[in-house]
Amino acid sequence: MGEQKSETEGYVGQSVRTIEGRAPVMGKATYTNDINFPGQLHAHILRSPHAAANIQSIDTSGAEKVAGVVRVVTGAQAAEHIDPIPHYIDPAVFGGRSASIRCLALDHVWCFGQPVAVVVAEDKRTARYAASRIVVDYEVTTPVIDSEDALKDDAPMVVPGWDANMIMQVPFGGGDVAQAFSSADRVIKTDVKVHRFSTQPIETRTYNGVYDAGTDSVTLYGTVQNPHPLRNVLSKILRMPENKIRVHAPVIGGAFGMKMHGHPEEGLVCFLSKLIGQPVKWVEDREECLLIGAREQVHSVELAVTKDGTILGLKDHYLANTGAPSSCPGWGMAFLTGLTMPGPYAVTNLDVQLSAVVTNKPGWNASRGYGKEVTALALELSVDNAARELGIDPVDMRMRNFIKKDQFPYDSPTGLIYDSGDYAGVMQKALDAIGYDEWKVKQEKAREEGRYLGIGVGFELTPEGGTLPGTFVAGYDSSTVRVAPDGSVRVLTGVTTPGSGNPTGIAQIVADELGVRLNTIEVVQGDTTTCPYGFGNSSGRSTIVGGGSAAKAAIEVREKIIKVAAALMEVDEESVSMKDGIIASGDKTIDLEEVCYACYTRAYDVGSVIEPPLEATAMFKPGLVRHTPNEKGQINPYPSYSNAAYVAISEVDVNTGEVKLLKFSVAHDCGNVINPILVEGQACGAIMFGIGAAMAENITFDENGRQLTKNFMDYVMPRIGDVPSIDLSHHDSPNPVNYKGLKGAGEAGVGGSAAAIVNSVNNALTPFGVMMTETPLTAPRVWSAIQAAKKAQPQRKVA
Amino acid sequence: MSLYPAFARPRDLGQAADIMGGLSTGAMIIAGGQEVMPSVNYGALMPEVYIDVGQISALKGIAEEDDGIHIGSSTVHRDVQDSEVIQSKIPLLSYAAAQIGGGMQVHNRGTIGGNIVSMHPLYDILPSLLALGAEFDVLRGDGETRVALADLMRDASHGLGSESLLVRIHLKPMTPGAGWSYEKLKITAGGYGSANAAAIVTLDGDKITSLRVVVGAVSALPIDISDALGGCRGQAWSDHLAEEIEEKASAEISEPLSDHQGDGDWRRAMAGVMARRAVEAAVEKAG
Ligand SMILES: Cc1cc2nc3c(=O)[nH]c(=O)nc-3n(C[C@H](O)[C@H](O)[C@H](O)COP(=O)(O)OP(=O)(O)OC[C@H]3O[C@@H](n4cnc5c(N)ncnc54)[C@H](O)[C@@H]3O)c2cc1C
Repeated sequence: MGEQKSETEGYVGQSVRTIEGRAPVMGKATYTNDINFPGQLHAHILRSPHAAANIQSIDTSGAEKVAGVVRVVTGAQAAEHIDPIPHYIDPAVFGGRSASIRCLALDHVWCFGQPVAVVVAEDKRTARYAASRIVVDYEVTTPVIDSEDALKDDAPMVVPGWDANMIMQVPFGGGDVAQAFSSADRVIKTDVKVHRFSTQPIETRTYNGVYDAGTDSVTLYGTVQNPHPLRNVLSKILRMPENKIRVHAPVIGGAFGMKMHGHPEEGLVCFLSKLIGQPVKWVEDREECLLIGAREQVHSVELAVTKDGTILGLKDHYLANTGAPSSCPGWGMAFLTGLTMPGPYAVTNLDVQLSAVVTNKPGWNASRGYGKEVTALALELSVDNAARELGIDPVDMRMRNFIKKDQFPYDSPTGLIYDSGDYAGVMQKALDAIGYDEWKVKQEKAREEGRYLGIGVGFELTPEGGTLPGTFVAGYDSSTVRVAPDGSVRVLTGVTTPGSGNPTGIAQIVADELGVRLNTIEVVQGDTTTCPYGFGNSSGRSTIVGGGSAAKAAIEVREKIIKVAAALMEVDEESVSMKDGIIASGDKTIDLEEVCYACYTRAYDVGSVIEPPLEATAMFKPGLVRHTPNEKGQINPYPSYSNAAYVAISEVDVNTGEVKLLKFSVAHDCGNVINPILVEGQACGAIMFGIGAAMAENITFDENGRQLTKNFMDYVMPRIGDVPSIDLSHHDSPNPVNYKGLKGAGEAGVGGSAAAIVNSVNNALTPFGVMMTETPLTAPRVWSAIQAAKKAQPQRKVA
Repeated sequence: MSLYPAFARPRDLGQAADIMGGLSTGAMIIAGGQEVMPSVNYGALMPEVYIDVGQISALKGIAEEDDGIHIGSSTVHRDVQDSEVIQSKIPLLSYAAAQIGGGMQVHNRGTIGGNIVSMHPLYDILPSLLALGAEFDVLRGDGETRVALADLMRDASHGLGSESLLVRIHLKPMTPGAGWSYEKLKITAGGYGSANAAAIVTLDGDKITSLRVVVGAVSALPIDISDALGGCRGQAWSDHLAEEIEEKASAEISEPLSDHQGDGDWRRAMAGVMARRAVEAAVEKAG
């Protein structure tokens, strides 16, 4: 890795290349599946082909006869040794219904794909083949697929013993909603339906459980975003103390929330390894990866507005189809959607209510945006619809309603405290970047030629760095900075990376705070035995808290080095500076290595001014979070509120319904930027997600609840050819309470960009009167909407 | 189904015929593997015996003979695209081969024979071959027979892939001056087609004298709609004709596919749109 910074400035703020990015690009990174141990065994999981059924009996004898099979385990057998999987976010903690989740189903399955039995064999193919010889006698029952059906009086119960198919119902809001709605000029209702789509990392989930009989301990090598919290979960499942468990996460090939834990396979491989006494690996295939859902929500947004577009009040009682219960933190996404209402808009009269419904679809896991992307979709589609109804420009409507930049910190009606922002400024930057007014002219011209261009905007407020009381969704984190006798630096941190580049950001911070060169720093993450306790990767937190804590530790170590350097040079401490690994006082300089060596080896003379070793551990806990409920019982789980505006230009082929994106711009505010290319990479990635969300990625089921989406032929993710050129600008209003004013940059953008695309398509089709508020806008759907509009208004002469 | 499949690699057609003849069910011919291997990896396919035909030189290459152009079944998409003979004599086919998705790997390994035998509704080669009136040499037992693609598509017992071998494809050069087009509707840059149409048109002045149109990706197999469009002969291109083609093409799709690519109503309508566009582009090129 080359040194790429300019001479005068520090590393922070510079686009340095990632220190860890080279190996994956060269094919040299070691992923979980690259790791094998002597005696390595492989597991294949037999999954339920039914959405709802009672298991009458399981006959494993056929599988056991296959040569190479080591062990076959059913749910009932497993339950003798292991306990249910603790919830990442237990609904019971928040007053909801909580189900007991096992690694393998006991006597009842509640979704397609639920693990029923597992085969361990000498190789993967044998395990898979043998699994096909297990005979399960199912008594199939009627499933509930749809969230509205799930709430009907006569609906079958997804979870035996529950009295309603509901995790919880949560109201958000305040103000005088009735007054707002009665005094409004108009109430405009928009039904926004967001479909089920997920995230699809190229590296699917993989776990390798390795039991060591000598120490009676188990190590899990795995695709894990949050190693320390998972260790606690494993200890409960395996009935072992945490000090007998190690979780190690090697390089991860994309996570996006999907590798947050609660998955049955994590505990299962550890248990199997212990049972058999040999390492057991399980690698998720693509079909299994597609079983993990997210985001399927039905919103009914009502905006009470004045003629000029001022929003007086907002109502939205929405349903989330969270599928069958899961121990993963997915269901919490639905909660966050409501909590983040009304997003960037200064609306105080708010009546939002979540119904988190369970159905017989597979459950959710966290997915980039964590529900906040759905807030953006629901809001932004509704605002566009209202703007159209009122006959005003959608941008004007937003500008009129944005929270003003002098209103921060801002108390939202749901209890959040927005740290800082300049939403109108961000929006304006995105518009200027793309040339909003020029596109309007082009659109007019194109229409005359029978071409349909659309211009759409979207805004997303993305609270980041979240922390929920009583869960492992924690706000703080810790890092250790160690400087060796040779002056090289190791940063061990509790945050992990899903491949987003945060180790480089953290190293840049440490290089500046410590005063060393970037290429002397090594960042170690993802191991419960070597790293300080931490909460891993989620919620755009890694650079905020990993960087913040590493900076504090670096400052402590620097002080020690300076003290000894001063002693060695026989000068005043105050006169000593340290930058880029060079220690100076006046004309005198001394090598960093010489000082570090002295720190370790001369503890009784010059080194006695400090306590060796050159090491410090520090914690960073952002401010602004309020876990003590206010008078309305609300908390603020977030310290920072990144935000961004998106503008999409699209062209619709009205004969086929195809949507082509012509241009995209984004302006975003993630506080100060540590490394522009890292931030831009994340922003572009989120736009790719947004394109997939808006146009193609869709997980579908048949009427019996069997999943139809099985591979990348069915689940169509955007290709690079679908992506237009993206104009990206930064508009930073630093977070006043975070280290370096950081706000988090990894998560934001899925909903804002998807909304901009949907709005652009509707904008293109204004001459037809088309307004689509159900995603995804696939070509067939767009075409049908045009057909329907043509039928409804045959007199309108278009196309 | 077998966990421990056997593997055979015949060196010539005679050996291939012997092996196929000596096996009961469960054999699977493998050429480029671009179809077979994904299914094997996915666990959907576990053949007892693989017969790898990649070493049989008689299956390779493109030749221009007196009776037309021969394409060996093991010829890869890349060679079909780049062949000068095909580019100049059957440009529709080289163009269609270039519209195949999957990137470089699929183009360099996937064969025209494997593509044909898969008879996959969404693939790109059959519509053009049908429009071009392709014939095949098929080896079964120890005898080769010549069969037209149109007939093969009606014959569910052709046994290709296990009991019989597609040896080569015969094509006549396209009429000089004929206009042609292959239109593929893709909903994303990487996706398979959701509807496609191949068209070949000859003109006399501005009047259509002959036209062949096949629509694909909208039903289980491509459909030759040339007869249904017979009334276009003698007409010049017009908006009216365009509408007529679109309507007639859609009407020919009685059992549209309905899958992740799109529902039946849309597929049927897109058959019309693709047919119209293909004919329009072909008319523009003709002359
Ligand atoms: C990612 C991806 C994307 C693709 N996208 C497209 C696309 O957009 N359009 C498209 O048209 N295709 C597409 N394909 C399919 C690809 O073009 C075909 O799968 C390929 O042409 C098959 O050729 P093969 O030699 O690899 O066949 P194989 O996989 O070797 O065999 C395919 C089938 O043909 C049989 N077979 C092969 N050769 C013979 C023979 N000589 N005689 C009898 N039977 C035979 C086999 O038994 C098997 O049933 C894609 C494939 C992939 C993997």
